[in-house]
Amino acid sequence: MTRIVVDPITRIEGHLRIEAEINNGKITDAFSSGTMVRLIEEILRGRDPRDAWAFVGRVCGVCTTVHSLASIRAVEDALDITIPPNAELVRNLMFCAQNVQDHVIHFYHLHALDWVDVVSALKADPKKTSEIAQSISNWPKSSPGYFSDLQKRLTKFVESGQLGIFANGYWGHPAYKLPAEINLIGVAHYLEALEWQKEIAKVHTIFGGKNPHPNFLVGGMACSISLDDASGINAERLAYVGKLLKDAQQFVEQVYIPDLLAIAPYYLDWGAIGGGLGNFMAYGDLSTSGYRDVGNYKFPPGVILNKDLSKIHEVDLRNDSEVEEYITNSWYEYAGGDGVGLHPWKGETKLKYTGPKPPFDFLNTEDKYSYLKTPRWKGHAMEVGPLARMLVGYASGRPEFKEVVDYALSALNVPATALFSTLGRTAARGLEAKLVAGWGLEFYDQLINNIKNGDTRMANTEKFKPETWPKKAMGVGHTEAPRGALAHWIVIEDQKIANYQLVVPSTWNASPRDKEGKSSAYEAALKDTPVHDVNQPLEILRTIHSFDPCLACAVHLYDENGKHINKLKVL
Amino acid sequence: MERSSDTLILGVGNCLMGDEGLGVHLAQQLKKEIPAGFADVLDGGTAGFQLMEYIESYPRVILIDATLDGRPAGTIQLIRPKFASDFPKAMSTHEIGLKDLVESLTLLDRLPDVYLFVVSVKTIQPLSIDLSPEVLVVLPELKRGILELCLRPVEVS
Repeated sequence: MTRIVVDPITRIEGHLRIEAEINNGKITDAFSSGTMVRLIEEILRGRDPRDAWAFVGRVCGVCTTVHSLASIRAVEDALDITIPPNAELVRNLMFCAQNVQDHVIHFYHLHALDWVDVVSALKADPKKTSEIAQSISNWPKSSPGYFSDLQKRLTKFVESGQLGIFANGYWGHPAYKLPAEINLIGVAHYLEALEWQKEIAKVHTIFGGKNPHPNFLVGGMACSISLDDASGINAERLAYVGKLLKDAQQFVEQVYIPDLLAIAPYYLDWGAIGGGLGNFMAYGDLSTSGYRDVGNYKFPPGVILNKDLSKIHEVDLRNDSEVEEYITNSWYEYAGGDGVGLHPWKGETKLKYTGPKPPFDFLNTEDKYSYLKTPRWKGHAMEVGPLARMLVGYASGRPEFKEVVDYALSALNVPATALFSTLGRTAARGLEAKLVAGWGLEFYDQLINNIKNGDTRMANTEKFKPETWPKKAMGVGHTEAPRGALAHWIVIEDQKIANYQLVVPSTWNASPRDKEGKSSAYEAALKDTPVHDVNQPLEILRTIHSFDPCLACAVHLYDENGKHINKLKVL
Repeated sequence: MERSSDTLILGVGNCLMGDEGLGVHLAQQLKKEIPAGFADVLDGGTAGFQLMEYIESYPRVILIDATLDGRPAGTIQLIRPKFASDFPKAMSTHEIGLKDLVESLTLLDRLPDVYLFVVSVKTIQPLSIDLSPEVLVVLPELKRGILELCLRPVEVS
């Protein structure tokens, strides 16, 4: 048996360490560890709840908006504040822009190189590449000249002996299956996506004043809209938002989806690898009639157990026997001992590191081995993320979900069971981006309509002053981060934060085992994954990257030498 | 940010990690000292891809960052990076950062004239918002180097 360590898993935000045991070319057991501390909960204690959004947004440089959104919703829930429709729409628009941007960046910059062999692209025939590109999409940048220019630059780059951005790939690994031409298309779109992503981020700048870390407001949004005001968000700015959203939809439909469907057929075996738990959870979001109107969510909430799409279980974030966090295998201590689970309103965040003293080769995975707590829903481990959302939407019988999922299944000619896999996770992200890009335009039209009808209300400030608050209040705010279900719980006492707990998507997915020894999503998904060469564990990266790991909000990070440890131990 | 000059001075780093944040400290100082039209100054923090828009809209970009390259603390080097491997060690605390951005812009054929001032530091471990004496003492020299570079005409590649 060989035990290998991949630490850090690169091309993510944050630090994740995977230790995997490999027997006869297959992973027989895996351990997922977050190796730094978050502890933002302690920073928030005693502060003004109206400021919490600004702190929690800084937990990550990528999905800052979703944390701020969950935070203001938690405070609004605690204080019973209803926000104006325009503020709901602006929040939805920011959600949509962030979701699509994040998914595109994930696919091209963080995940594509697990499937696309950059070095092989040098051998592509530009003319043939152009023919393939034109056969799968109307995207204009597809001439033989375009691909041959890019290939020349790439050749120069690689011949200089410096692979640079592409340096950490396992190029030439036999698990790369794409023809050279599709590899070249992948590289071209890697670069185009980089240019596009900076445009869509401007939606946040316009509504939130800046990006990253746009401004939010308890009670609404901190932006004034008036069609003819030169300094506010006027007709010109709004038209620009409309253009950005249309461009986003075009990029998803003409680049992202065609690429996904062109690459997937070469990797259909991954439709049976990396399935994992089979339990999926979504809190839902994007209401057409206000956050509290759960029935009108574009993303319906719900839980699927054991891959059973015939039944959707309800999720209640207030019920203290549903979502609970355990620390049996995490470097924390609870007043009530290691065996109990705590609902986040009663959550505790007291560190107690008991792991090996660095530098060390392996974690003691018999004992505590991560800074992530282990959340459970009614005791079950849950996978969250685009696949969970798409499955909950699909199983709820929503036509929009059925349409895109069935389309993809028939285009790839695979059964629905292929959804429960590494490939399914990666495909679900693309399909979700397509849906969200379309919804963004719907919300945009509604906002323009409201404003044209004279409704420019953007905030409800009735309960902004602490004098109007009860002595004690508790709230929970949820959203769907690109990586999955996200919720913040807050307890307000005497106008200050008495307790604050974040349960983030990567905590659900990347957490260590629970007290019964049950694995969470990453560990479960790695089981039975084939590993061709233990020195080049490309397969581990494929499955872990398919979750879009992002540990910045789950843990802190830094590694001063940026070292990519890839340790092997033959046991 | 409105562009007032052909040159962008871009300081990067994490201001919570002692000397690692020297680029950010310097950008904050230069913002007050450099008049508009001479050069624009930006505190890039720990951003990576978000800086693309700024970098590609200037003909010349002067980056300032810290490095853990083992040289004596306070050593200043000026380099003109074209590839990630031209960057000194431990430039960015992010997995995908400035290095990747410079390379991607090279591949896109849109890389401006980039200069990189790096200052060697001893450690980035302490959680501190202050710079060490070794780094503080070389800041005037670093500023002079940056200003001299701004005075040179922009090279057209």
